Amino acid sequence: MKTLRQFLAVTACVGMFFSGAVVAADSPTATTKEAPKDLILKGDAKCTGCHDEADDSKPTMLDLRPSVLAIGKTKHGTVADSRTPTCTDCHGESEKHVKHKGSDKPPKADRTFGKNTKTSPEARNDACLSCHQGGKHMNWQSSVHASRDVTCTACHKVHAAHDKVREKATQAEVCFTCHKEQRAQVNRPSHHPIIEGKMTCTSCHDLHGDNPKSLTKASLNDTCYTCHMEKRGPFVHNHQPVTEDCGICHNPHGTTIANLLKSRPPFLCQECHNHDSHPGQVAGLPTAATTGSSTLGTVGRGCLNCHTNIHGGNSTQNSATAGRFRR
Amino acid sequence: MNAIQQTFRLTTTAAALLAIFGPALADDAEVNELIKPESSVSIGVGNWSADRPQQGIYDGMRDKDAYGLLDADIVKRDDATGTWMKLKASNLGLDNREIKGEYLRQGNFGITLDYNRISRDNPNTFTTRLQGIGTTTQTVSTAALPGPLQTVSLGTVREGIGLGIYKNLLPGLDFTLSFKNEEKTGTRHWGRGGAPEFAVEPINSTIRQVEGTLSYSSKKLQLSGGYYGSWYDTKNTLVAMTNAGLPVSNANTTYLSLPLDNQAHQLFLNGGYSFTPTTRATVKLAYTHATQDEHLPTQDVAGLSLAGSPQSLKGEVNTTLVQLGLTSRPIKDLSLLANFRYFDVQDETPVARFVQGNPLSCVTPPNGNQCVDNTPFSYKTLTGKLEGTYRLTDVYRLTAGVEERRQDRAVPVSNSLGAGGADNQRVVPMRSKVDETTWRLELRRSMSETLNGSLAYLFSQRTGSSYLTVAGPGNSTTNGIGAPGPGNMINPLNIADRERNKLRFALDWTPVESLAFQLNVEQAIDDYEHGPDRPYGLTDGTSQLFSFDASYTMSEKWQVNAWYAYDHSRAKQRNSRANNGGDRLVVADVLDKRYDLQDTGNSLGIGVRGEVTPRVKMGADLQWSRNVSKYDQGLTVLAAGTQLLPAGFSSDLPNIENKLLRLSFFSTYALNKSSDLRVDLIHERWQTDDWSWSFANGTAFSYGTTTDGTTVTANPKQNATFVGLRYVYKFQ
Repeated sequence: MKTLRQFLAVTACVGMFFSGAVVAADSPTATTKEAPKDLILKGDAKCTGCHDEADDSKPTMLDLRPSVLAIGKTKHGTVADSRTPTCTDCHGESEKHVKHKGSDKPPKADRTFGKNTKTSPEARNDACLSCHQGGKHMNWQSSVHASRDVTCTACHKVHAAHDKVREKATQAEVCFTCHKEQRAQVNRPSHHPIIEGKMTCTSCHDLHGDNPKSLTKASLNDTCYTCHMEKRGPFVHNHQPVTEDCGICHNPHGTTIANLLKSRPPFLCQECHNHDSHPGQVAGLPTAATTGSSTLGTVGRGCLNCHTNIHGGNSTQNSATAGRFRR
Repeated sequence: MNAIQQTFRLTTTAAALLAIFGPALADDAEVNELIKPESSVSIGVGNWSADRPQQGIYDGMRDKDAYGLLDADIVKRDDATGTWMKLKASNLGLDNREIKGEYLRQGNFGITLDYNRISRDNPNTFTTRLQGIGTTTQTVSTAALPGPLQTVSLGTVREGIGLGIYKNLLPGLDFTLSFKNEEKTGTRHWGRGGAPEFAVEPINSTIRQVEGTLSYSSKKLQLSGGYYGSWYDTKNTLVAMTNAGLPVSNANTTYLSLPLDNQAHQLFLNGGYSFTPTTRATVKLAYTHATQDEHLPTQDVAGLSLAGSPQSLKGEVNTTLVQLGLTSRPIKDLSLLANFRYFDVQDETPVARFVQGNPLSCVTPPNGNQCVDNTPFSYKTLTGKLEGTYRLTDVYRLTAGVEERRQDRAVPVSNSLGAGGADNQRVVPMRSKVDETTWRLELRRSMSETLNGSLAYLFSQRTGSSYLTVAGPGNSTTNGIGAPGPGNMINPLNIADRERNKLRFALDWTPVESLAFQLNVEQAIDDYEHGPDRPYGLTDGTSQLFSFDASYTMSEKWQVNAWYAYDHSRAKQRNSRANNGGDRLVVADVLDKRYDLQDTGNSLGIGVRGEVTPRVKMGADLQWSRNVSKYDQGLTVLAAGTQLLPAGFSSDLPNIENKLLRLSFFSTYALNKSSDLRVDLIHERWQTDDWSWSFANGTAFSYGTTTDGTTVTANPKQNATFVGLRYVYKFQ
């Protein structure tokens, strides 16, 4: 037992000595250098030989220099999946960058994706599309974003463990980088629960596709029906604009009027209805409680105080006004 | 002594092992921290100091109360097999909680299961004597039989459960299946319909959606096809509203219909083929068969329906989509895009007569206009788009494009059982064709390190076929306006002739690396054309947007950003009008009114993020917005100097101002490498003078005179402060 203790003590001293030697040998002044090994991706040693943990940025609140190695935390860094790429699949072989000698700044990689990149938008997107052209990205080339030179990496942070645009709580922040009008609208009193994190822009929009307004479905109505299916009908009494386009009356991003209405009754209704009876009434407020329909078109729910089933009704009540969405 | 010896032995052993493996372990730990997925769990408590009916509509924290704050984001990966296990939970202590679990063997098989709850609370308070709220039988109080007065809150809850399955079948061949079941329950502010009285829609329905997709992807060819089915299923189909003391019957009761069950089945196929690296064609095909063939519940109430009318609508809507696209870069500097789209929504519901209020006539007043058929609307839309982008220099690109949209619309005409001419049922004239051409020109500067931007101009023109006139109610020609009657003298906004000019300017300027500016300016002008025979409807519309963002990174540790946005929209509108006191104009003069509606928004945001010390991080945000709506209306003054306004009515609508100020602050203190304490402070001030639920003198609106009496109160000023404290544990 004593012998063992002595052996361990000696080993400790020798170990401490050589551990310093190992560190020293790893230093740039060392005369011999082991060939770097892959850190994360197959064949990444070509890059991580320099872009290693010593060179990498630690996560910070401002994320000014995102971590390169953080790709290991993502699906792209899951090497057990044989489809995962290596650095050069996206950044190119970048021989000039790799073989650069000297203390000055090396030339950039063949393909870069940062803000000041000289790589064309098409070339940047090709890096992604070489694997992601199928499925939901099939129509990317004819999407509005593609035709406005918005690249995949303008929205996606491929190296980040948490890609903001794929997170419910932070997605809108990314979209608002360009869509300023919508940023103002979602904060209005009547809005979908976007700022509350219960819906995202991609609940309705498919930015990779080429549907009208980049919607997830073929039309605005079909998109709205995914949550508001009771409006789909058809009804015994159809209200024409409801069957055509929800956006005729509603602004889904937010308004100052209840139920996301673009304009309030009776102004909204009178954009289509010119009438010689009470629907043609002047806008205004009653001075006291009343049942007169000619004075109740503005207050409360406006025209909808009576025409309550405005999206369509199924009543067959034998009334001359059965088709007026009152029942 | 033994203890000392024992300690020495352990220390020696540890020192030896550490000396040999220490540097390697330290390296591994450092690398692992950078490359292995990370997880976090946070638990805490927060308190709102006051009720916040407006700001708390969706966030599950409407009331003055303490709330549990519990979130988790747990991610584990087995590197050897590429197997992920994820659990993400948000707002577990709140009413709008959600949780999602995922198992994924990447590239092979995956399954997700999620639960999501969205509550929506009506911000108004209802004081009512209405009985039966939440049910399909509601009783309205009368002066003689007043029910107990109660204060009620209305709102809905959606509870969704989702299932997703992914399976890679062969290299490039994937199958995905998603299923979602969402239960929606609660109450919604409604109206009695037959009279301007308070009612509550009872909601108890289910939406189910399932989508199965088989996708194939190779370098050149991609295909994706499958089935999407959706079902709406409601438990409530009809609401009976009766005055207190009266039995429920056709004579005494207002029956309010509700949406009925409907379903849709879609088959779809998407394809893409890359002929060359720069030329690609795509195709989209979809066919949807949607039906609504539920039994009509009013048919079960004696005397409520036309004898012999159909028991169900037999509704059927078939939708066909064919879309072909081609993108190409024939030469290095030129990109082309061509797109053709055929979208045909055919409502093939058979037309039937459901109502004949007066058995004598369906055509001629005074007995006319009392027949109601169902009115299916169909739309066939052809859209062609051609766009080209030419690279002028390394940094400038010019895009020009045109889009032509042609729409055929089926307009129901129901007079003399389809004899043609003016329609007896519709009250709005319609067009059977609406066409719109849009031209776009854009100059973009990009690929510059300091200055990027774009300037775009868009011009569109919409027109259509002649109007199919109406002879429905409210379109009398004996009221001084003359033929074709006031109803026909409008251009409805969705089909009106319109010319639109739009200008967009965007600029990104980064003068130095630490400073960035962004400027967006947009202006749109809509001009609605009106002939002398059709003077009414929207006449002009304008909108402007100005937004400015700035971001300054002061150091490695501090950053500040600010933004300001101004938006303004204005709509001018002209309509004829009735003399609000009665059903028909009583003078020969043409009375009309002109609206000038304006909405102006000003928004400001300022944010700062920083590291106070290596352990303390903080952030603060200020958000302020003010929206003002103006409702100016000009009324024709008669020769006698009167405007024929009804008694007890004011046409003077004040401006509405909504203001929100929200100050938020958070700070995290790192207790150690794996745990933080986080403090959140929020102060918000919401204020409105919205008169929607007010009488002209500002008192709270109430329904009815002899019945109902429900009062609706909106809380115009809501100030509240939130304090929250959380413990955050992080691990890998």
